[in-house]
Amino acid sequence: MTRTSWGATLLTILLSLAIGAAAIMLLGYDPVEAYYQLFRGAFVGKFNIGGVFERFVPLMLTALAFAVSAKVSVFNVGVEGELYLGAMAAAWAGYALTGLHPVVHVPVCFALAMVVAGAWGAIPGALKAYWRVNEVCVTILMNYVAIFFTSYLVGNPFSARTSIPRTPSIEESAKLLRFLKPSRVNIGLFVAIGVLLLVWWVLYHTTWGFRLRHTGQNPDFSEYVGIPPKKVMVWGMILSGAIGGLAGAIEVMGIHGHFLDNFSPGIAFDGMLASLIAKNDIRMVPVLALFLAVLKTGALGMERFTGVPKTLIDTIIAVFILLAAMEALFSWKRRGAASAGEGA
Amino acid sequence: MDTTNDILSLVFNATLFHSTIRAATPILYATLACVLTQQADILNIGVEGIMIFSAFAAVATSYFAGSWVLALVAAIIVGVVVAAFMAFAHLGAKADIFVVGMGVNMLAIALTRFLLQRIFGVSGSFHHNDIVAMPRLSFDFGGSELLNDLFNDYSLFEPVGIVLVFVLAFILYKTVWGLRLRSTGLNPQAAETAGINVTMRKFEVMLYSGVLGGIAGAHLSLGYSRMFVENMTNGRGFMGVAAMFFGGANPVWGWVGCLIFGFADSVGSRLQSLGLPSQFILMIPYLATVLVLTLAMMRKKRAETARKSAL
Repeated sequence: MTRTSWGATLLTILLSLAIGAAAIMLLGYDPVEAYYQLFRGAFVGKFNIGGVFERFVPLMLTALAFAVSAKVSVFNVGVEGELYLGAMAAAWAGYALTGLHPVVHVPVCFALAMVVAGAWGAIPGALKAYWRVNEVCVTILMNYVAIFFTSYLVGNPFSARTSIPRTPSIEESAKLLRFLKPSRVNIGLFVAIGVLLLVWWVLYHTTWGFRLRHTGQNPDFSEYVGIPPKKVMVWGMILSGAIGGLAGAIEVMGIHGHFLDNFSPGIAFDGMLASLIAKNDIRMVPVLALFLAVLKTGALGMERFTGVPKTLIDTIIAVFILLAAMEALFSWKRRGAASAGEGA
Repeated sequence: MDTTNDILSLVFNATLFHSTIRAATPILYATLACVLTQQADILNIGVEGIMIFSAFAAVATSYFAGSWVLALVAAIIVGVVVAAFMAFAHLGAKADIFVVGMGVNMLAIALTRFLLQRIFGVSGSFHHNDIVAMPRLSFDFGGSELLNDLFNDYSLFEPVGIVLVFVLAFILYKTVWGLRLRSTGLNPQAAETAGINVTMRKFEVMLYSGVLGGIAGAHLSLGYSRMFVENMTNGRGFMGVAAMFFGGANPVWGWVGCLIFGFADSVGSRLQSLGLPSQFILMIPYLATVLVLTLAMMRKKRAETARKSAL
């Protein structure tokens, strides 16, 4: 589809860090010291390294979910909703099913999360495939429906009856093993990396993956050579939704231990942006997710030791994304009229 | 049975009309901003960010200058600057408008949070007695409670928004400018052939969208409320996009969409204050929009199939 330009991405990263340095200097701080503390805050000590991976897992998975849907030319803005539903499904399976062995319980939670979120993803996929309903709009709207729905569940039937709306804690057998304590990083990291490799292998080394990519590039020709483009598009969205659901499940089973109302501060939107900057290249997705996770984690250390506010780092990330999008002047074909304007 | 009636009368009474308008207005300005750009085939997902920036500018100006007029002007200027940047990135640097919009939203949240700490030394929210709100319209209905409930005490930009809906509809569908704008969205090549500079037209329309987004932000922080809160739009920009889709980029139908959002929001918050689950009511506008979109596309597809088979 489009080739990734590593050099340009690196240049954009350096440019946004330079802009950040200038801003730090303007505020009267030492940029070298600030970046040094940012680096320390991300890489020195178990807690910090763990913190990076804690943020990396949901970012990478949601970015991957977005990238997969982009392969069938669906612009899936609904990963956030899939994340919520997956998290809720995993939390329910985590506390409602008791007496299971971890080897059974954990996969059951994952499976339920992926089925629920995959089914949710199939809806906009089918609407787009069969009636060409604008998926950007539908997925944005469905995010709200999913978040309201989980909010209802956590407030009423699945409530732990605590002061903050959350579900009961999941069983020990559903919790993901943590390492690098005291950080909350868990074996979900390896699950995520495994899923990344699996998806990459499926997309580029199996017939099914070939059909998926083929349909995304040219649905008419796919139909001509006997690949049903509509079905493939729906399956692509199911896969995308399932990955988003898995991200939610890992958040619940590895980090929180229960479903908390409104737990995600737009994780999937950050993931989506990571994927967009990676131009939906699956090999670049983990690199950008890691970069964002490092910045977000290191920012805490930077704020604590130098006083440079961490909101500045969020600003730099936004600048980076805008710059990276504009750098696309050279290398990125537009999505075209695929999603804009159809609903009008 | 009595309690059901009590609850119903607490939720559905004359003040619901006012609170529907009140909840719909911030979304309405966002909708109009999206309608304008959508007519030129630009999905302005960044209206959320424009609103946050403008809301901040309005509160800061109102606090320091003590005037809501200056605050409105500042909000509009900020809105236009942000929109101009988006237009440049999209049309000049060929960046995907969706990425630019999401980037601007992210930038708006981060930067206003940062400025809130730097300028006012607070985090979370800023309210102060020196912030001058937009004026409210009050009439004397001679003690008629119903008329008071229905028509009194509107913030200035609530009725203005309704007027704007029809002004915009007139401009889009009854003027040459509107025809040319719509043609750039419908068929850019044909518009180009007819001598319309499509890129300039899109740029122009993004600036107007910035004006509307600026008003949306100023109204949110000085009319709807009188403070600035981190991420205070809380998805209203996206609701604006949704309402625009609901109305198929037609301002009047977009307004209807906003009213449905406003109505659901008002009923939802009333149910919540009574301790009833409000989530299903709050879902209705989103589900309704998906349904409207789907039905519209199904009808379109059936019409196309019918036309083909007639050949």
